Amino acid sequence: MKAVAALLDGIVLGLQYGLLGVGLTLIYGLAGVVNLAHGQIAIFGAIMASLLMGAGWAAVPAAIVGILAAAVVLLILDLTLMRAVYRQHGEHRILLGLLIMLGVGFIIDGYLNWQHPIEVLTLRIGGDPVPILGVNMRTGSLLASAITIVAGLALVMFFQLTTLGRGVRSVIQDEQGARLVGINPSSVRTFVFALSGVLAGLVAVTGAMTAPQASDFGVKLTTLALIVAVVGGLGSVSGAFLAGVLLGIVDRFASAYIGQFYTTVILLLCAAFMIVLRPSGLLGKST
Amino acid sequence: MSLLEVRGVSAGYAGEDVVHAVSFHVDPGEAITIIGSNGAGKSTLFRAIVSMLATTSGTTMFEDRDITKLPTHKISRLGLAYVPAERHLFPRMTVRENLLLGAFPARPDPAREEFVFEVFPRLAERRKQDAGTMSGGEQQMLAVARALMSQPKVLMLDEPTTGLAPRLAREAYGALARLRDAGLTLVVAEQQVPLALELASRGYVLENGRFELEGTSDELAGNPDVQRAYLGVA
Repeated sequence: MKAVAALLDGIVLGLQYGLLGVGLTLIYGLAGVVNLAHGQIAIFGAIMASLLMGAGWAAVPAAIVGILAAAVVLLILDLTLMRAVYRQHGEHRILLGLLIMLGVGFIIDGYLNWQHPIEVLTLRIGGDPVPILGVNMRTGSLLASAITIVAGLALVMFFQLTTLGRGVRSVIQDEQGARLVGINPSSVRTFVFALSGVLAGLVAVTGAMTAPQASDFGVKLTTLALIVAVVGGLGSVSGAFLAGVLLGIVDRFASAYIGQFYTTVILLLCAAFMIVLRPSGLLGKST
Repeated sequence: MSLLEVRGVSAGYAGEDVVHAVSFHVDPGEAITIIGSNGAGKSTLFRAIVSMLATTSGTTMFEDRDITKLPTHKISRLGLAYVPAERHLFPRMTVRENLLLGAFPARPDPAREEFVFEVFPRLAERRKQDAGTMSGGEQQMLAVARALMSQPKVLMLDEPTTGLAPRLAREAYGALARLRDAGLTLVVAEQQVPLALELASRGYVLENGRFELEGTSDELAGNPDVQRAYLGVA
């Protein structure tokens, strides 16, 4: 029973991890920027939602504005600080992007810690627990998973079936080739930054349906996003989702059988082993 | 009126010009060739025309419009398509997806897709295969086919036969001749000079970044220097 519960909890958590990893992997694939502020931006959205609810807003509009707030942060970064990064190439670009995003993460963390240290986003979803395979699952967990699955499927369909989605993939695979067919990589990048922000906000909001999202959770989310993206293969959307679900299951089993304290270390080990054994990740490109 | 007119274009890398004040033009419906050995500057010239490389001087006019400073994607949308020797396909996408992107941002015209598959029947058989897993010859066909999807006014090709076996090279030129006969304006850079002169009505010889010779294909084929350097005539 304990194993079944760990498995189901793992899938719920893993879907969240997947969404987290996709947001990071997209920006890396498209812009060569490792967004070390991804988790902080997610939490920024959550805290905005929480503040709005505190001001009397209903949960749904507050959550939507919170998600959009996360998107706006990344949109502004793309249009301002990232311009300096895009002028660099290769290692320089990766390093500069890394440093700037690290700084942005500190700033958001510092701001939240200073202004809203005890703010927490909790979205209570009513209803009795639903028994699945003999395990009582909370409605919040089920709703969060349903939203995440829908978002994941929508993303996959967007990338496979729409002109813009294919355009995004083309820039990830060959930026010069994309230019040659008439795609402006810079506009695609701006779009993907905003999309990644929406995904970050969505992680925090759906996360708040299962557990309170505190203002100091950002760094942990960034770490998880990085682990998921590495295991899934940087730049691979489906890889990130697969890695997220697998790591979510590993996380819950480790927590149930070894101890909560060790789970992050075990996840980091998974990422480290992945780099040693299969540097391109689960579904990453082989070169 | 020339469709594409290059006026005194110089360009290069790291502050050093590789192409020096090159001028040429191509009229609607014409096929021309730019002949040159490795390192003569053919790719540099093309890259400068489509703004993949900044020019240091000169202007490029397309349909009487100055496109010298226009970014690559806008030049492509105007109808000046370029197929580089490295092809720049999308390796982890299928043949069909590569073609669909060729029509970006428009929805691909089904009649156009049919035409492209008619010119390159092998691509029709492989439409679900990933571009990166195809042979060099097939990738070359796909690169040309992808460029055709946007119904360009001018198609510029950089060494379309690089790495192809002689039989495939002839096949590729057969397809290009069909496109020329259908009215497409072509600019082809080549080292495979016999094939290029057969396709084109005029040509230029590029050496060390400068045009050393120009003339009709017959004139070039009859020129002793060209024969010695490119046609293997002793």
